[in-house]
Amino acid sequence: MSGESTRHVLVVDDERIIREGCRRVLERDGFQVVTSENSESALRLIDRRGRFCAALVDLKLPGMDGIEFIVRMRQVDEDIVPIVITGYASIETAIEATRKGAYSYVPKPFTPEELLLPVRQGVEKRALAIEARALREERERHLLDLAFERSRCRSVIQCMRDGVLVANREGNVVLRNEAAGAIFYPEGPAELPAPVSELRCPKLENLLTDTLSPQSGTIVLTTEIPIHKAVYMATASPVISDNGQSLGAVAVLRDITEWKKLEETKSVFVGMVAHEVKNPLAAIEGLLNVVLDDAAGGPAEERDLLRRALARAGALRCMVSELISLMAMDTGRFALRRTPCEIRGLIQEAVDACRDQAEQKSIELRLESGESPPTALLDRNAVLTVFSNLIDNAIKYSPSGTCVCVRIAWDKSFVRVAVQDQGIGMTAAEQRNVFDEFYRVKNESTRGIPGTGLGLTLARRIVEMHHGTIHLESTPGKGSRFTVTLPIQTEHMGPLSEGPPAPPRSRVT
Amino acid sequence: MNNHSQAILLLDDDPDFLTIGRSILESGGHRVIHATAVDEAWEYLRTEKPCLIITDLMMDALDAGFDFARRLKADERFRDIPVIILTGIASRRGYDFTPRSREELRSMEADAYLEKPLTADVLLGKVAELMAKREKDETP
Repeated sequence: MSGESTRHVLVVDDERIIREGCRRVLERDGFQVVTSENSESALRLIDRRGRFCAALVDLKLPGMDGIEFIVRMRQVDEDIVPIVITGYASIETAIEATRKGAYSYVPKPFTPEELLLPVRQGVEKRALAIEARALREERERHLLDLAFERSRCRSVIQCMRDGVLVANREGNVVLRNEAAGAIFYPEGPAELPAPVSELRCPKLENLLTDTLSPQSGTIVLTTEIPIHKAVYMATASPVISDNGQSLGAVAVLRDITEWKKLEETKSVFVGMVAHEVKNPLAAIEGLLNVVLDDAAGGPAEERDLLRRALARAGALRCMVSELISLMAMDTGRFALRRTPCEIRGLIQEAVDACRDQAEQKSIELRLESGESPPTALLDRNAVLTVFSNLIDNAIKYSPSGTCVCVRIAWDKSFVRVAVQDQGIGMTAAEQRNVFDEFYRVKNESTRGIPGTGLGLTLARRIVEMHHGTIHLESTPGKGSRFTVTLPIQTEHMGPLSEGPPAPPRSRVT
Repeated sequence: MNNHSQAILLLDDDPDFLTIGRSILESGGHRVIHATAVDEAWEYLRTEKPCLIITDLMMDALDAGFDFARRLKADERFRDIPVIILTGIASRRGYDFTPRSREELRSMEADAYLEKPLTADVLLGKVAELMAKREKDETP
């Protein structure tokens, strides 16, 4: 505040000669002087705190007297040092003036020195008082900050979802947050400080002991700890004071149970992929070995074995590319490229692609549709994959002489394509699993039917990316019907977001 | 090559592996009866007794081959038939069926354990070994 160092002195006296006398004396000493002949106009001059450092006030003033003026002045700025000057000197008025807040009392007539001395002293005292107050305020604010800081720290630690636990050098738990309490004392809180051994968790105890040992320095230790069916990643680091001394150790426990499950799911999946790749490779190798070992029996048999090897290689390549598509969807690298697609043309193309396959098995492949089905914004290739897979499956799992029927229906917002067969059908349990990766219905009637176990998984993912649904109804021995419902989205409606977030890759069984 | 009157029963649910096994065995002069399911194999066993049984491990169930071998060894009529278990997988979902010792192999109720892909040398060698052993056992 600039007012703290002000050198302005206010002189209030109705006698001009006194006012000018004061001005001369004070200005010679480096003060700046403002004068007033009555209380009212003087009060108006004190427009803000810190405007004046001292006020010389005549006790006898016209209107509001000097003592009243001092009281009013101090209400505006209590730091102004009031010095009373008066010609009617008496003990009583001196006491009265002091009681009302006057710092000093200068009787008239006065010498320059008699006036200057109390002004200098008063101004000095004022500066000291202001400084002391500033220091006091500073300290109070600091304490407040400190208290706030501490409670904030505590709140932050309490709110953390990770368990936080602090042990001192003696190996006692001196602080822990609620999450840590919930991990170790699910039944309720226990007293602190308590020995780490009471946690009954040797791995955490060892971790803290290792961290507390002087050799470990500032090393951060991490370990996995199973507690009450959950798995925690525990990280411990030493608590070092400003002067480098070890005060204790802080352990943070993060619940990684879900993450571990996901990891397991992932490795199961990788194991399944490895198996699904190894099996056809072993078949290809075996078939080729037979030919090379001249064990086939004749040229015709050799050709047959080579043809089989080729078919297995083709199926394997198909599986790997489906796998690549699924992986791309999982990592968000598979973006739909939507273009306006005429539904009938698209479905017709999928049906035509399966025509030969159906004829080989003497299966009637029928496409039923009303007049001019709508056009929708779809990723043509992706949707073609969906229906090729569904029709291909329907043919594969149907006996000769039956019919596979594809029906297109629609309303204002959705197009529904059903692929119905009179095939072997599925049990309820099989229906539940049929969209899972590598799941294939295995029984008497499916033996020898080739497939990757990924076609339906991929189909469902593509349909879901289009914000559609895929629905299955099936009766064992009677047949299955897959119904795909896709929103009819035209360009006028603007693009939808790119599909729902990827569901977890595989089920943990 | 010797032409046994008794056939070898080959069981695998993958038609390509059946073809591979059959081709190899026939090239070795063996007569082969093949089945794609355990039920089918039992059906055959009702009427004829093979000299050797070769079965895939994983068919409908994860350990269908073990189960089949166990049932054969538990049956008076088939106990003396040597059994070879074939597998395309050394491990799946953490299971590793590869026997590490003779005892483990015996506990599988199998006389031999072979991993796919099969080569003529390995399969025919193992078949010859088991047949010779059986003939020796039968000679008092």
